[in-house]
Amino acid sequence: MPKIELDPKRVEELEQKIEKSKEIFKMAYDRFDPDEMRLIWSGGKDSTLTLWICRQFCQENGLPLPKAFTIDEGDAFEEIDEFLEKYSEEWNVELDWGRNEDVLKAAGYELGAEVIVADLNERNQAEIKRIGFDLERFPFEAESYVGNHLMKTVVFNTYLEDNNVRAVFQGLRWDEQAARAKDEYYEDADAAELTPAHTRYRPILHFTERDIWDTTLYFDIPYCPLYEDGYRSLGAKTTSLKLDDLPAWEQDLENTEERGGRRQDKEKTMARLRMLGYM
Amino acid sequence: MKNVVLLTIDCLRKDVLGCYGNQDGLTPFLDSIAEKSIQFTKAQTVAPYTQASFPGILTSSYYFDHAKEEKQTERLSPKRTLLSEALKQAGMVTAAFHSNPYLGDYFGWNRGWDRFYDSMEEDVSPISPFIKGDGINQMVDKWLSSHIRGSDDRPFFLWTHYMDVHEPYIPKKEYLDTVAPSIDLSKEEMLELFEEVVLKRDVSSAETVNVLGKLYRAVVREADDHTRTFFDVLEQHGVLDESVVMITTDHGDEFGEHGSLSHNGKMYCELIDSPLLIYNYSPGKAQVCDTLVSGLDISPTLVHLLGLEPIENFQGHSLLPLEDYPQKGCYGEAIGKLGHRVKDTDQPVYFYRENDLKIIYRVEEDSWQMYDLQADPKEQNNIINTSPLSEEMKSKLSPRINRGHK
Repeated sequence: MPKIELDPKRVEELEQKIEKSKEIFKMAYDRFDPDEMRLIWSGGKDSTLTLWICRQFCQENGLPLPKAFTIDEGDAFEEIDEFLEKYSEEWNVELDWGRNEDVLKAAGYELGAEVIVADLNERNQAEIKRIGFDLERFPFEAESYVGNHLMKTVVFNTYLEDNNVRAVFQGLRWDEQAARAKDEYYEDADAAELTPAHTRYRPILHFTERDIWDTTLYFDIPYCPLYEDGYRSLGAKTTSLKLDDLPAWEQDLENTEERGGRRQDKEKTMARLRMLGYM
Repeated sequence: MKNVVLLTIDCLRKDVLGCYGNQDGLTPFLDSIAEKSIQFTKAQTVAPYTQASFPGILTSSYYFDHAKEEKQTERLSPKRTLLSEALKQAGMVTAAFHSNPYLGDYFGWNRGWDRFYDSMEEDVSPISPFIKGDGINQMVDKWLSSHIRGSDDRPFFLWTHYMDVHEPYIPKKEYLDTVAPSIDLSKEEMLELFEEVVLKRDVSSAETVNVLGKLYRAVVREADDHTRTFFDVLEQHGVLDESVVMITTDHGDEFGEHGSLSHNGKMYCELIDSPLLIYNYSPGKAQVCDTLVSGLDISPTLVHLLGLEPIENFQGHSLLPLEDYPQKGCYGEAIGKLGHRVKDTDQPVYFYRENDLKIIYRVEEDSWQMYDLQADPKEQNNIINTSPLSEEMKSKLSPRINRGHK
């Protein structure tokens, strides 16, 4: 029994969307070896749906699943870690965890702790410089401008390099944020300083937040229980807030901000002003 | 008219619009809108950069009115009434969509909006450090869908602000190819021009400044297309016919006219003259108004258009009906910073314009300048020591000097 009732036309619409996603997986499999591909799985609703469709695609075509990769930014919800562990086992997904151990160590594994830049390895120091930061120390926060870069972007790039990954699947969506509105189903990211060349596939770009929940609930796809508690978008633990106590799918998805629960801090505003040359 | 819409385009110089005499065809859509609008030929912003100018536009007050308090709190003073607050209180639905950090939640501009989108949660990059017009239009589209489908029949006030013309000037290739086909720079190279030339205010090479001007014109052309889509979105939702749309800017941009780039704390025409159109006031009819008007007048005009009583806190006057608008001079004030960063030692700069005379006072140098805009529209010939009108103009600006600041 599905968790929600949908009219048959809607179900057909969702099935078409799933088929569209499979076409993107096919494009990737036509070009790359499964060993060279990774599926980025944060444990959130979007990447979990991406993985679910990928499994279906692989089963239908007798293809091996790609490995999955998740990034631990040092500020994760326990519920997400548990969810990832449970379903990687249940779904037989090989899951690699990536973290910036060097930064974590320098912060004494403590959020808010001060990191001395000189204590970091060469790579991290070069990255801090590359994004235009001229700091001797900074507080360890996963979602600040510098934290986000070190804990996510650097970890991602290093992982691609170390494992010769040439293609990744991302659970991004056009309607998730306006910055995504022009994203393409696949994009060849050229090698840049410290970033290896790779191709990014985005199989579920065309799913709206409503589509995600209708599909997830109708096809009984697992989701992290935090969504039931009212979270709409899961980022780092200390910076993600509930917008409402209703389960995500019962909230006014069309009229409120999916990422509205992510903290709006001074740091983000300042990072923007800096990019515009004001700071 | 039922709804009011305010579209502001950051950094949009008046002289790049075809309807204001530009011959390069950069704004075909805005020009077509001007043909159905009241077009103001002498509109003045109250300041040359966003933080000082927007209090004029959305709160009808001057920057230094509460600057002391705002400097401490880093937030818009509660003593200012935002247009959104006044209109929400009057029972309207209010919505804002923009991507300018200085107008965001953090600085307190989120008051009075039923829907406030400032994009600060979005991922951006140095090459594209704000959400562009297409992304903003998409948010407006989504909001209008839910507003109309939600069968909420209340009139709305929609404010949309584009950042597309703001530096770094990194136009899409198709626009660069249209406007300046000879230029073939990569996005990274354009970013480098921003970092190495614009930010350093380096005008030593006329050629480089010329290239920057071309990139700027290409992003203007791009913003014109976003404006077209914005109007399409309003039309698709069936609200264009029942809305008055005001289009303007918060300030212009400099390309070496007075020795610098971008928008410093200066009061010259390339920064202060603004395009101002009121579309659909008398549907189908075009009108040109040569009266001197101020950014302070925008909010009072929108209030008037909605048939509401004037808001006590607003210092400007409704531009409409045109025959009732009082002839008056225009004031402006800002920190006279050079470059984007405000230093603690930076001092205020003020201007007053009456008819075709503009007087400017810079505190830092204790210097006066005056220009006859009729004879010298580019403000190159300072007549403060030669004009018989200098003393009279000084006496009109003097009372504003040093009030409220520091």
